[in-house]
Amino acid sequence: MKTAEEIFTALEEMFGAKRETLDRWGVTAVVSAGYLHNAVEFLKGTAGVELNMLVDVAGIDYLTYPNYEGPRFAVSYSFKSTVNPGLRFRLKVLVSEANLKVPTISDLYANANWYEREVFDQFGIVFEGHPDLRRLLNHVEFVGHPLRKDYPAQKRQWLSTNDYLLPALEKRLETLGYRIVERSKEVGTNDNEFLEGSIKE
Amino acid sequence: MTAEAEKPNIITSSLDFLVNWGRTNSLWPFPYGTACCAIEFMSTEVGRYDLSRIGSEYVRFTPRQSDVLLVAGTITYKQAPILKRIYEQMAEPRWVIAMGACACSGGFYDCYCTVPGIDHIIPVDVYIGGCPSRPEAFFDAMFDLQKKIKDESYMKQRADRVKEQLEMIKAKTAEAKACAKDFAHEKVEELKDFVMEKEQNLVKKAQFWKE
Repeated sequence: MKTAEEIFTALEEMFGAKRETLDRWGVTAVVSAGYLHNAVEFLKGTAGVELNMLVDVAGIDYLTYPNYEGPRFAVSYSFKSTVNPGLRFRLKVLVSEANLKVPTISDLYANANWYEREVFDQFGIVFEGHPDLRRLLNHVEFVGHPLRKDYPAQKRQWLSTNDYLLPALEKRLETLGYRIVERSKEVGTNDNEFLEGSIKE
Repeated sequence: MTAEAEKPNIITSSLDFLVNWGRTNSLWPFPYGTACCAIEFMSTEVGRYDLSRIGSEYVRFTPRQSDVLLVAGTITYKQAPILKRIYEQMAEPRWVIAMGACACSGGFYDCYCTVPGIDHIIPVDVYIGGCPSRPEAFFDAMFDLQKKIKDESYMKQRADRVKEQLEMIKAKTAEAKACAKDFAHEKVEELKDFVMEKEQNLVKKAQFWKE
């Protein structure tokens, strides 16, 4: 089993990771977006490290952060190991406002799928290669990204339609080998009627 | 419609009494529980507090079979159309209780995602404060609602319902009258012109013959 410091030196050698000075209690490695996928693969697969649990993916907006210079956004990944007890590690990717792109890690960790959707929803950071990058928490008609510091916190946006999930559900059932024999009357959508069909085929 | 038809008489008042008695003592709630207030409602419903003592025997999880929509918890903007749709699905004598601070006013969620009070979406009959409200407060709200239902009158509702029709009829009658008046005026003026022309012709003819 390696300690977090050893993992950091390994990352420093392989991917040119830098130590995050703001993190006073643990070890946080800042890697560039290009090396992120490889770094995560290294953390997950290497013997002695085996950080096989993704605890959280969080977006950060440094717009109003005091005495900070650098790119505006960051995405922070927290990892934990279930094989090596007590081993935790954090990765951080800095994202500039001009290029809001980070490679996805949802092919390595299945739960990263929803975490990345949440970060996309709240901060507008685009995860390249994500299978289904839609909003997770806010509704479909929401404009803007509410956890950005320049979003007015009390700006409210009404949703005019109901989530109509049946077409998506039917599609998924059909991919699993089911066949739709008949639909009940209520299922058909009527565009003129209020409160119907936010997801359309 | 005469004033007599608006007044309650012995038949409608006794019918009111019977109907209101029935409705008062069989308020079946539909719990729309999204937060901790729903837990308080559960404790209100079961053994120790026992909501069925005042006739709310069943909690119905379908809007078709329930009378009271109990909104217990925070309503976000994503939830709002769903809540509205459930309210619209309920059969007509329906009442709404907003339980807890969140349902009443949005509570401390003063942010981009929470509806500031469900009265922005649906009409509310009784508000209960508290975060979450105690079962006693919920009972109090139910008693308030029962009082409200006991005051309901068929004739009053009918008068309200017919009022619009009556006003519409009155407006239409006035419109038709105005129309007829205009038409009559036009006709009269036409006739006047006609008569004047005839007179002038006659005068001309008379002058011609004189000459």
